[in-house]
Amino acid sequence: MTEAVLHIKNVIKRYGDVEVLHHLNLEVTRGAIHGLVGLNGSGKTTTMECVLGMQGFDGGEINVLGRHPRNLWQGAGDVVGIFDTPGLHPGLTVRQCLEHARLLCGKPVRTPAEVETLLGITKYSHYKIRQLSLGNRRRTSIAHALIGQPAFVVLDEPFNGLDAGGVDDVLALIQRLNRQEGTSFLLSSHQLAYLESICTHLSILHEGKIALSASTHELISPTESRLKLVCDHPEAARELLKQTLGVIKFEKVGNAFMLTLDGIGPGDINRKLVMSGLTVSELQPEKRDLTVLFQDIVSKVTAKPKVKAWQEVA
Amino acid sequence: MMQGLLTSIKAEIFVFAHSRAIQLLCVIPALITAAQLVLVRSLAASSDARAALMGSDSASGGFGGGFGSAGNIEGADAWGALVDALGTGLTLISLIVIAYAAWSFASDRDLGVVRHLLIRRVSRPALVISKLIQAHLLALVSITLMLLVTFGSAALLWDFGPVVEDGYELIGTEEIQAELRLGLSLALIPVPAAIALGVLISVLCNSTTQALSVALGLTLGLDLFKSVLGSAADYLYASYLVSLLDESYLDDVARLVRGFSDVMIDPAVLQLNQWVPWPQMVLFVVLALVLVRHKKL
Repeated sequence: MTEAVLHIKNVIKRYGDVEVLHHLNLEVTRGAIHGLVGLNGSGKTTTMECVLGMQGFDGGEINVLGRHPRNLWQGAGDVVGIFDTPGLHPGLTVRQCLEHARLLCGKPVRTPAEVETLLGITKYSHYKIRQLSLGNRRRTSIAHALIGQPAFVVLDEPFNGLDAGGVDDVLALIQRLNRQEGTSFLLSSHQLAYLESICTHLSILHEGKIALSASTHELISPTESRLKLVCDHPEAARELLKQTLGVIKFEKVGNAFMLTLDGIGPGDINRKLVMSGLTVSELQPEKRDLTVLFQDIVSKVTAKPKVKAWQEVA
Repeated sequence: MMQGLLTSIKAEIFVFAHSRAIQLLCVIPALITAAQLVLVRSLAASSDARAALMGSDSASGGFGGGFGSAGNIEGADAWGALVDALGTGLTLISLIVIAYAAWSFASDRDLGVVRHLLIRRVSRPALVISKLIQAHLLALVSITLMLLVTFGSAALLWDFGPVVEDGYELIGTEEIQAELRLGLSLALIPVPAAIALGVLISVLCNSTTQALSVALGLTLGLDLFKSVLGSAADYLYASYLVSLLDESYLDDVARLVRGFSDVMIDPAVLQLNQWVPWPQMVLFVVLALVLVRHKKL
């Protein structure tokens, strides 16, 4: 069994009468980059704050590297958090902030100069935090967190305020730390494409509950074969495929059709259509991405489907 | 716990040593007391010069005599100006340290700085204790500087000796110095309680602005109300704190050195001054330590 760095079991959190986390369960395994996705107000930041001991919770258990969140300080820097606000003294320079981080860090493994280079903020070394742009403050905040050798890093919206180059640097840094030092990460973001590109595991948090949690590979690999079909006589194609065994769903999406298959493949469909005299101009397996998956899950509960499809089940 | 506390104290001292704003706070009371002494001396000199020109022998008896001139009592104006300046300095320091204590934790929480400390090395109670220590350090540096500058400036501007009226020594130098030492030490005893109240407010409030407003409002409110509390005020630490409406023994020393009074401190008041602030300080600290455990940070 894989060891968990974070174990959340049946956590309940209320703000007054409003319950924002309803029996939340989540596990982050050692060595994972675990993305937490959710709409605004779904409870991502509350979850992270509970995990880091910044606020209490009303029920359930949270265990971070074997400790209750309120006792994370006993780990002497095993866990670090990077929040949506940088959390740095505005009157100190970047270098002074990093020196300050060294004081807090139980096991400093990098010098301030090294982390400045790592985050590309060397030229701002003597700038005061208040003089920096939001993006560079965020880089400094990440540098502040990485001056030690944390085993588990919690990042809340790490890409906010970063330019494209900054995002690439942070993504590369997360991957490098994960691969080279085995650092585990829990990160929340609205930037689903970024999460999809680096996360080994993803959890979708919706209305205070984990709606889905699995490895990224499992989530974005289709369990049913789905095909996008474009052909010259769609009505004829529909009638033909309705009678075909193995086509279990048929949806119209713009000028194309989405087919859900069970037990047959794209080749069978293509052969059948061509042999019936239809011209197939496009037939390709649907590439599922996190955005689609997220929208699917969220729309089941709240939003209306973006694509108004007529569908038939054979 | 101890390791975390030491880390937190080191981190606070690091910020203390590198923050210009905090350094400025340390220096301001000293600069103001020096400016007050120079101003009083200049006004006294100009008053003397005007009196000499007009052939009057009531030198230093006018506007330049400071806050309550002693007229022709020799030595009184020098001691009076010194004690007034010390009173001004301590009033400023009291307000500054209360405001600073209230600002310290609330501001770090608003900025998110406390999160780094709490996650990495420092427990919540250790964080509160380190804030208390930092505020005391500010008070210590500020008071030391203010005392050095005030005594130094006063020594440069005046000659100090016994207070004499019509050839009769009202109070000797050593006696004045002893009363001044007593007045200062009694005025400093309630400062830790004021700092502890500031930190408690800082922990309780939800924003820096709220913490500062409440701390200064409460301090000024206590100052106003202590006179209407009657004997009950004797059990309030604020009664012994040098303040805008000063009722501390240092205010009595100012009258004593001017020859306006020969009444020394009442032994009962002395006892209360020495003991009343401590339990209140302990209460504020304990409350802060308990409340911080449940606070959303």
